[in-house]
Amino acid sequence: MSSQRVIDGRDMQPPEPLEQTLAALDTLPPDGEIVLLLYCQPHPLYQILRRNGYAWTETMQADGTTEIHIRKA
Amino acid sequence: MHPNLSFEQAPPIWVPYRFFLTAPLFGIAAGLLLAWAGPDALASRWTPMALALTHLMVAGFMLQAMCGALLQFIPVAAGANIWRAGLVASLVHPALVVGVALLAGGFLAGPGPWFAAGAGLIVTALSGYVAVAGFALFRAPAQGATIVALRVAVLALVVTYVLGFTLTLGLRGSPGVPLLEITHVHAAWGLGGWSLLLLSGVSYYVVPMFQLTPAYPVWLGRLLPWGLLTVLLLWAAQLSGRAFGWQSWVLLAGLLLAGTFAVVTLRLQALRRRRVPDVTLTLFRGGMASLLAAIVALVATIAVPPAPTFVAAFSSMTFLAAPEWAVAIGILTFVGLFVSVITGMLYKIVPFLNWLHLQRLGGLTVLPPNMKQMIPERAMIGQMRLHFVALAALLVAVAWPPLTVAAGLLFAASCAWLEWNLLSGVRVYRDFRDRIRAAAACHAP
Repeated sequence: MSSQRVIDGRDMQPPEPLEQTLAALDTLPPDGEIVLLLYCQPHPLYQILRRNGYAWTETMQADGTTEIHIRKA
Repeated sequence: MHPNLSFEQAPPIWVPYRFFLTAPLFGIAAGLLLAWAGPDALASRWTPMALALTHLMVAGFMLQAMCGALLQFIPVAAGANIWRAGLVASLVHPALVVGVALLAGGFLAGPGPWFAAGAGLIVTALSGYVAVAGFALFRAPAQGATIVALRVAVLALVVTYVLGFTLTLGLRGSPGVPLLEITHVHAAWGLGGWSLLLLSGVSYYVVPMFQLTPAYPVWLGRLLPWGLLTVLLLWAAQLSGRAFGWQSWVLLAGLLLAGTFAVVTLRLQALRRRRVPDVTLTLFRGGMASLLAAIVALVATIAVPPAPTFVAAFSSMTFLAAPEWAVAIGILTFVGLFVSVITGMLYKIVPFLNWLHLQRLGGLTVLPPNMKQMIPERAMIGQMRLHFVALAALLVAVAWPPLTVAAGLLFAASCAWLEWNLLSGVRVYRDFRDRIRAAAACHAP
């Protein structure tokens, strides 16, 4: 069964959501997933994920939240 | 809509930092000069000393911080590439430093050749800067309130320095230069155009992002740049040499627009999602309160005879026409508004840029220190308190001149502390960058 870790970064000051996501990537199991919630699109994070072999999908919710699902590619 | 930032085209970290680290030095110089000048310095806005102090603040402290911020901000907020940002910074930065020093010295010593050389250096440096930054801004793929605000701000900067250079020619004896009218228009375009619009454009990003507030309303982003541009164009009608009865109403409209920005910012900050003490938040609130106080004071000034008096109660308040009143408005604007918000932004931008650049250097193997470790929180709080004490002392010194020396020293000390805090952030960056490089060298094949 895959594990999921949710990081709600909507009430965090930048770059705290990035800090927490990068720390979570260190312990992400091969079939695990990180779900990051933000009010913006984190382009710096996308660059890091792209360079380090992670895949992600993002969906926009009605309240303006961007929901980002991150997995190992 | 909350803004998105892209750091793929961000310039090298030293590009904004060389401007950021120079800005407080001009504040120190202004504070020490005020202390040296003593009680007469704040008697009027027109004395050579007051003009020198004003330009150390606006063309020294404020312009340095704003030029550095814009070089960083255009690539990350507008997605536009600045042509040879490193080269531009290494030419514009020293030219501005020397130019402003000569200009301030020229106000004190008289408008001799060095005064003209200073003005010429500033115009040359800013023309190069505007050509590069303006080209990037007008070709920027991003759209929205910030881009519009920044484009009009850069246009206003051009008007400001062209008028400023014309004033230097007039002061050196060129005939036919209406000094008073040009000074009014020069100050309005510099403060209400370049400075306020740049502040608003950056605030649309920085306030929601770092202070966790709701986004600025769309209508404000549309109203402010076009409204202020209209006001500034109408205000410039006095350059024709004719006096227009409606000029006071134009000024009032501009002040209302500026006040709207302050009120909306304070309202958004009251609605912030995370209610924890924050130095930047407090400095921003102090800045907006100062802006509102300056606006009230200016409205009172234009209501006093012989200006068209639209508030009958003001007609008996003759102290509003005293030259010291204008000096107090200047202190509220330069120190209360702009130094406060610039300091607040630097306390967020420097740790954030440190973190981003270190993260890019270290990748996922060496995580950078926490944001809160970049500049000690206690040092920022202490400096902020000293800044507000200095502001209060400067305002009191206008009414009670014996306090002028102490007020100048307090302001110099608060700027010196700001410089020290920024340098401590740079030291953290350099130490950690060296550790990352050393680790990479150890693991190299």
